[in-house]
Amino acid sequence: MTNEHVEACVPLDISDGDVYEAMKEISGYLDITPADFKEVYLKAYQHALQRLTQSVRVAEVMTKQVATVGPNTPLRAVAELMSERGVSGVPVIDADRRVVGVVSDKDFLSHMGTGEAQTLMDLVAECLRGSGCVAKPIRQKYASDIMTSPAITISEDSSVLEAADLLVKKGINRIPVVDPEGKLVGIVARADVVRSAPPRGWT
Amino acid sequence: MNFLAKMKGTTKSPPMVSASEIIFSWLGSFLGIASVAYINFHLVNDSDFVMLIGSFGASAVLIYGATKSPLAQPRNLIGGHVISALIGVAAFKLFNGQLYLASALAVATAVAVMHATKTLHPPGGATALIAVIGSENIHSLGFTYALIPAGAGAAIMLLVALVFNNIPGSRRYPEFWL
Repeated sequence: MTNEHVEACVPLDISDGDVYEAMKEISGYLDITPADFKEVYLKAYQHALQRLTQSVRVAEVMTKQVATVGPNTPLRAVAELMSERGVSGVPVIDADRRVVGVVSDKDFLSHMGTGEAQTLMDLVAECLRGSGCVAKPIRQKYASDIMTSPAITISEDSSVLEAADLLVKKGINRIPVVDPEGKLVGIVARADVVRSAPPRGWT
Repeated sequence: MNFLAKMKGTTKSPPMVSASEIIFSWLGSFLGIASVAYINFHLVNDSDFVMLIGSFGASAVLIYGATKSPLAQPRNLIGGHVISALIGVAAFKLFNGQLYLASALAVATAVAVMHATKTLHPPGGATALIAVIGSENIHSLGFTYALIPAGAGAAIMLLVALVFNNIPGSRRYPEFWL
């Protein structure tokens, strides 16, 4: 996985001529040809990028103030919390702060109306067809009724690159971060990963 | 950096080469030296000529064992041996009464001139030295020493390097000609 992500960052483009000029600035004989040096440089650049990207831990980029709900939180309270905090998903935790699932806007969509809506527009269309209140099927339900479980979690010591890989492979937008005992310590969203990426042209 | 701190070194030794590289280095060196040594011991044995000199052992290290090094390229191999041989013979002719001086001048001048002509090839230093401290047979060759064995021997080893080093997929030779 790592190489695909890392190679997306274009290394500084240097030519044999640049190396030749640089070698002239170093006094003393250098036992390497400009072409070989360039090859070593490009490979070393990839190694450096990989090292730096992997050295950033999830714990350094995650959001620590996580909005959470319990398995028995009514869905109305869940929706209000998500709305208030402007998030599209919340971890569901038990009394020991262990993550038992995640409720996301997608879980709401797929349980509302006739239960077949995949997107917001599916639901709007259903609503306009006049089949009554689309929230009715979940009005009396709780977080545990619609949450995705078991939750995909990541340890706080994992690298950001691993988090990015998990986000892409599982097609999810956020991953609860847990400590070695499995207790919730934060959440890492796609935006957190993007912000942690080294700027383009970084050398 | 102060004087003593410089002696600590600043980095680590480069990684070891692969097993196949070791095997190719052995094989190339064997073939290269075998070619020159065969001529030396079987073809020119009865004449006054020699074809094999000690410095070719050092050239083998470079052109079969460190093929990518600038020091191992054809320009350096041929130029280094021929130029150093001429300098060595000249040093012997000028200072043969003081061999310590002739030896030092031969090697030091060879290094300097190889640098100045972009033909630095470490075995050239040995070629220059052999012109001074070599056998009577070597001395009797005079400046011919620069052609045979120095130039001709290096050319034979170059030929072997050109053929052999381009057979394995992992190798190519040379990096440059001039």
